[in-house]
Amino acid sequence: MKVNPFVYGLLIIVLFFGVIGGAKAAGIWSVSGKLTASGEKVAPTGTNVDEIKGWMTLDDVSAAYKVPVAEIVAAFNLPADTPGTTQIKNLESDSFSTVNLRTWLKERLGQ
Amino acid sequence: MTTAARTETFGKVKPRRKGLAALLTHHTFRRLTQLGILLFLVYIAVRHLLAGESGAVTTASWEAYCPFGGLETLYKYVASGGSFVSHVHLSNVVILVAALLTALIARNAFCGWLCPFGFIQDMVSSFSAFIQKRVPVIRKGVRTLKTRGARLVVLDRYLRFLKYGVLAWAVIGAAVYGFMVFRDVDPWAALWNLLELTLGMGTVVLAIVLVASLFVERPWCRYACPLGAATGLVSKLSPFYLKRESEACKACAICTKACPMGLPVHTATTIKSVDCVGCLECVDVCPREGALELKLGIPLIGK
Repeated sequence: MKVNPFVYGLLIIVLFFGVIGGAKAAGIWSVSGKLTASGEKVAPTGTNVDEIKGWMTLDDVSAAYKVPVAEIVAAFNLPADTPGTTQIKNLESDSFSTVNLRTWLKERLGQ
Repeated sequence: MTTAARTETFGKVKPRRKGLAALLTHHTFRRLTQLGILLFLVYIAVRHLLAGESGAVTTASWEAYCPFGGLETLYKYVASGGSFVSHVHLSNVVILVAALLTALIARNAFCGWLCPFGFIQDMVSSFSAFIQKRVPVIRKGVRTLKTRGARLVVLDRYLRFLKYGVLAWAVIGAAVYGFMVFRDVDPWAALWNLLELTLGMGTVVLAIVLVASLFVERPWCRYACPLGAATGLVSKLSPFYLKRESEACKACAICTKACPMGLPVHTATTIKSVDCVGCLECVDVCPREGALELKLGIPLIGK
């Protein structure tokens, strides 16, 4: 059966944006790690290190996991005067990253 | 069109479109769709840049709208029961599902109609064609380069398999290491990182893709795009295909020249290639009635 290219184009748009619109309507949509699917702000709970994200600060991690900022700074040889308000992703280097911090915390906490 | 009228015009030269009719084509429709998506992402990226990461209002980054992020996080999302690799959110998974479903039903049309990076490559190639048309020296130079490069055409067939390797590396790498191993070389990510004046290996890949687009259409899509590799494989199950009627076709090869993916349309009977992006440029330029049409049939069999 021959198909009109306009109908084909319309089908593509309806399919693609239909799935996205449907997911949004059903609440299956979140565009930021800082927000949950229902739009509430995310905060570290201290129960699972995988929840740690690059946008979180050293203070956030320290408060949730009860590990002093100074200990994190020393463990990764970060500058001693690093403020606790610094986001993890802004400290990333060859020796420090969100993944490294999670691994270290996991061992530190025996998770 | 009635069957009788169709038989009467079958194989004849199509009447030339004039005025508004020449503008109101699926080509224009496709370009507007691609442009709309690119402008939306520019708006998202600029808004995120202006609001800042630590701003009072949480804004989405352009990365939240990348379907490939959904594929990279899929293993972790399933294995961990809902968590993602860094830079990926629920929206990426939803957009991935939308892209795969589109491929399943309407071929690899995500690449041809919706992907903004494909659109950018198209624009660079159009710019190259525009310049070549007006500057004879450049036209001659490009033609000489293409003639010499024709010897390498055999490589094209094998290089197209490269994207499956990139797909496997990106997906398996993310599953094993827990972060996006592909991100550092991703030209799409590099393009947006330019806004933050961040340069890296991806910038080099981006430069190579853009320069290559001056000579070859859609080089990234043809040889290296892991998302296109995934949607292309799924598109094999689509009921849509292109049919060339050899009785009406004069093998003028205009369709082959128009194909941004370099598929040999004028020698094929049906086009069901995983590399076909469903742009329908070949159908648009075909000068004969009924020689090349988009058809709906039975998946895999294509009849």
